[in-house]
Order: sequence, then C-alpha cells, then structure tokens
Amino acid sequence: MKKIIYALLFVSISAMAQDKYLTKTGTIGFEASVPSFEEVAATNQSVTAILNSENGEIAALALVKGFRFKNALMEEHFNENYAESDEFPKAIFKGKLKDFSLEELTTEAQTYILEGTLSFHGVTQEFNDLKVDLKKTEKGIDISGEFIAKASEFNIEIPKIVRKKVKDDITVSFNYALEIK
Amino acid sequence: MRKLVVLIIAIIVITLGYNYLYKDHRDIKTEKAEFTLGSSELSSEFTLEPILSEKKFLNKTIEVKGQVTEISDNSLTLDNSVYCQFDDAIEQHIQKNIVLKIKGRVIGFDDLLQQVKLDQCNILN
Repeated sequence: MKKIIYALLFVSISAMAQDKYLTKTGTIGFEASVPSFEEVAATNQSVTAILNSENGEIAALALVKGFRFKNALMEEHFNENYAESDEFPKAIFKGKLKDFSLEELTTEAQTYILEGTLSFHGVTQEFNDLKVDLKKTEKGIDISGEFIAKASEFNIEIPKIVRKKVKDDITVSFNYALEIK
Repeated sequence: MRKLVVLIIAIIVITLGYNYLYKDHRDIKTEKAEFTLGSSELSSEFTLEPILSEKKFLNKTIEVKGQVTEISDNSLTLDNSVYCQFDDAIEQHIQKNIVLKIKGRVIGFDDLLQQVKLDQCNILN
C-alpha cells in the first residue's frame, strides 16, 4: 500500500515538473507556386503546437480545413481533390529537438535539428534533419522553420493539366510563438 | 447581326467563367447555422463519437453558446472546450466569464487540446 502511495506521489510530482510551452495560434503556410502563374499558397493561423522543455519533444496539429487561400475556388479544390479534408481532417507533426536544453536558449535565434514524423492525407513521412530556429521571448519560446515536402510522397497526385502551374515540391513554413503553460 | 450574337455569347461565357474562377469566399456571417448547441454538448459529441461528429459537423456553420474561459487578440475559448477564431480583433468589452453565442465554421477536433475548433467566427449577442 505504501509503495503505491509513493508511486502515485512520484508520478504526480514528475507530472507537475513538466514544463509545457504551448500556442493555439501557430502559423503554417505552404506554397506550391510556379513563377508567372497564379499563386498557389495558403496559411493556417490556428495551429496548436506544444513543446516539452524537459526533453525537447514537439507536437503540432493543424486542421486541414483551417488552411485559407486567397482564391475561394482553389481552396475548394484543395479540400475536395488534393488534401481530401473530409476524409483526412488533420495534419500532425510529432518529433523531438536534438540536443535541446532550455538553459541554452537566448533571445538570439539558434538553429536546432528537429527529427520527427508528419502525418497528412493518410500518409506518415519521416523527417530527420529539419532545421528550426529557436529563441527566447518575453512570454516564452519562438520556433520557426521551413522545409520542402513532396506532394507525391503524401499520395497527392497533381493532375497533368495543372502540373505546369502547381509544383510537386511544396515549401512549408511555420512559426509558433509558444507561451509557458 | 450574327456577329453581335456571337459577341454577346462570348461576353456571357467569359463573365460566367471569370465568376467561377474568382468566386467569393463563403460568408459565414450571413449563412444560416445548421446546428445550434451548447459548447459542452458539442465537445462531448466529438469526444464520444469522433468519426460520426466529423461527418456531421465538418465545414458546417454552427451556433455555439458557452462561457468565455480564455481570450486573446483574435480568438476565445468557450467552457475550455470550444476554440473560436475570429478574422478580426475581438472587441474590448468582451471579457472572461461572460456567456456568448457564437456563429462560426467547424474546422475539426484538436486532439492535443481536446477542443473543437471554429474559424471565421462572429459574436451574436
């Protein structure tokens, strides 16, 4: 009985010690534009991102329907034919920052390596050397970065007829202003 | 005469085509809500029946009622369970703890926070 109480106590203490940094208004943008054709780009400004400052683990979740395009028809096609957001409403990244330590962060941006998996459109892809910039802010930690994802690797086929106007290499950028919870 | 007809048809086709390609975004503010419910009711539907609820609510305009538990520049949370994002900054007089009726579009359920998310929200009361 005593052991159980100690175990419970230990669990609750370790749970309390976890420092979580969180945002609900993170931004993810992507662009697949081809020069001299109409811009193919969207932004999502309601991304949830959580960083566990104990071990550098990161989780981010974007609801696919939250991606907004300038062009309403493009948004409709994105949701219906490309991302199929009725069937796959979420994009989730789970990963870990390499050699992360909260004490080493400064107000100047430093580059860290992020490893993890991105699940989108029913496909999970590994990313092993994402470069992300971290810096300390008044309220918490800012994380930002950019990487290239291939639409074809996420099982998204760009029809021949628009292949000249939409790139397969999609530039994804993100920015999370995390605040301590 | 024939030329004129061809010209008119051409103009109509171009206008229709242009309106199709560059149509306006949905205006959630003027759309009629398909569902009206309380915030805890909405979130419990998503927790208990995630797949069914997605089918039922995704991309739909709904009205939710609840108490403000968190507020930021352009978003607020009702009863810690429904997150509402606004296109513009929220008016100053909106404070924590007041009860609001909000219309918005359901974009999905956030597993990390266990919250339903709405965007393009408007305050109704």
